[in-house]
Amino acid sequence: MLIRPNRGDLRLIGYNLGRILGVVAAAGLVPLTWALVAGEFAPAASFLLMIGIFGTLAFALRQRAPQSNRLEWSHGMVIVGLTWLIVPAIGAVPLVLSGHYGSFIDPFFDAMSGLTTTGLALIQDLDHLATSLNFWRHLLHFLGGQGIVIAVLSLFAGGGAMTLYYGEARDDQIFPSVRSTARFIWLVSAVHAAFGIFALGAVGYFVLGFRPFRAIFHAVTIFMAAFDTGGFAPQSSSIGYYHSAVFEAVTAVLMVAGALSFGLHFALWRGRHKVLRNLEIRTILATFLGTLLLTLAGLAGAGAFESLSGLSRQGFFQVLSAHTGTGFATVPSLELASWGGLAFGGMAIAMALGGMGSSTAGGVKSLRIGLTIKALSSQVRQVLLPEGAVISTRYWQNGWKQLNPDLIQAVMGVSLLYVALYLLGTGVGLMYHLPLQSALFESVSAGANVGLSVGITDPSMPLVLKLTYIFQMWAGRLEFVAIFSLFGFLFSLVRGK
Amino acid sequence: MMRRRLTFLLTITVAMLAATSAQAASDVGVDELLSDGAAFAGQTISVVGELIGDYGRRSDGSAWTQLNGDPYASAPLLESGALGGSNAGIGISAPADLIADLDPPGGYHQRGPLVRVSGIWEYHDADRGGETYLDAVSIEVLEPGRAIEEEVNPVVASLGALFLVTALWLALRGRKRLLD
Repeated sequence: MLIRPNRGDLRLIGYNLGRILGVVAAAGLVPLTWALVAGEFAPAASFLLMIGIFGTLAFALRQRAPQSNRLEWSHGMVIVGLTWLIVPAIGAVPLVLSGHYGSFIDPFFDAMSGLTTTGLALIQDLDHLATSLNFWRHLLHFLGGQGIVIAVLSLFAGGGAMTLYYGEARDDQIFPSVRSTARFIWLVSAVHAAFGIFALGAVGYFVLGFRPFRAIFHAVTIFMAAFDTGGFAPQSSSIGYYHSAVFEAVTAVLMVAGALSFGLHFALWRGRHKVLRNLEIRTILATFLGTLLLTLAGLAGAGAFESLSGLSRQGFFQVLSAHTGTGFATVPSLELASWGGLAFGGMAIAMALGGMGSSTAGGVKSLRIGLTIKALSSQVRQVLLPEGAVISTRYWQNGWKQLNPDLIQAVMGVSLLYVALYLLGTGVGLMYHLPLQSALFESVSAGANVGLSVGITDPSMPLVLKLTYIFQMWAGRLEFVAIFSLFGFLFSLVRGK
Repeated sequence: MMRRRLTFLLTITVAMLAATSAQAASDVGVDELLSDGAAFAGQTISVVGELIGDYGRRSDGSAWTQLNGDPYASAPLLESGALGGSNAGIGISAPADLIADLDPPGGYHQRGPLVRVSGIWEYHDADRGGETYLDAVSIEVLEPGRAIEEEVNPVVASLGALFLVTALWLALRGRKRLLD
């Protein structure tokens, strides 16, 4: 029997949602300040409106404090699911008012893409967009990649905060307290921000010859998109704009850092190099090398690049971008669309597999892939051995762990959901007569929060396809549980007793 | 004597070939270059469009920028131009002195100079790790760049202020309730 949520549940959800929206409203002050400093007053007015809406909603929801602020699992999941819908909806306001979009759904698409660190974009004439609006698009990557809820937890973690933490698809609790874990995540990001912005800014100024303000602008935006494995870029030609191997190298380091779990960052900071034996690390290295070889073989076979330097540099960057779920490109999307056969296969697989769990990357995640392979090999061994033989399968992930049926079921379940998500977008694409290869590529890119495009994602694409990709980005980023909980909650509001 | 004559003839031939090749350079659309760049590999071509983004002056004496050949080059959005899809641009590498006197590149508040760039289309250049760009030898300004203004929308600003005041009122009300 479904139990209808009572007023207390709604008040608890609203109160905590209000807290989160209040933090996002405060975050909106950053692009507002940027706009005022840069003399971009029209965008500044739109940021004022956005902050006002966030603030009004936040304080309206917090008018009545709940009797107890102890969150249960269902509350946490519903809060996270709603947060990731409301923030892009209101966060799209400055984008709507920019005049760079043809419909109301397009800015929402871009805001969702930004927040979920996907990087697919429907913006038109990006190259003339105000720098403050461009900064806001990238800040959405940062808020989403770090986890908006993490930001709130680091300030006011209360009872049941763990439910919010898990709701954002994080399962790596580094410290016993959620607040300490959240603060550590922000510390890692701050250190990388200092290094990344300095390195990119230095390359921009000294190597690329940009003016100081422009060097900082490029450094800040590219850092946020790279470390949060987002994929937006301040110019329409993505990383190809810079025509610089050095700039690509620094960006690549940041993409890799973003695709590593925060737990791994913690272990490496503490000098615990044993973590490099982890199944997750070995799996991601193996899948990266495998997809890289596949892509390079495909490109070499097709004669896409005549020189070895071109093949290796362009192939490496594109595969790294795909596997980390970033979505930066150094080749135009039309050229990417021509990568058929093995090269297409390598790229699509790299995108679908994704980075590490509890990182800013999307996709199935390497630990699940590693465990799935372990489970399958265990099954094969079971079949080959005499009936009644008992096989015990262990794996190393911060110590020896037993592979048990519950874990296998959970891993397989989420992996299958990702496959279903990829097929959903592909099916809708085929419905609109897109070629199978393009439909599959774009769908995987959306569902795995990558952002590479073969040209399908375009303002003129059908509305249903836009809505499908929005759903894929949302569900893929939150890894389904929060989404299902939200649907279940809404259903029980209507049909519960 | 014979050697001198041969040198003279060779010089004339090279000059004529260069002139012919310059004349042969016809305008190619950015869309064509993006959709089938290989077809123009190594050819001398001319491309018309707006210079956009940055003029990156590098230590080797080159300058890098981007040329967009989309509808926004002639009709900017802020001047009531129509939406015409995503940008379409190619990289431009030129000797730094070629861009020395140009107006600032396009961006927000700025329509970049509208130019015709002639040069060699370097497709997957082996010397630059497979990059694709136009190695410019000449830049002809067709229309200078200009500043573009965007007025603040008073309705948006007023609504923003209204929402902000409401948020502050709600915050104070909530605080008072909490204290009560």
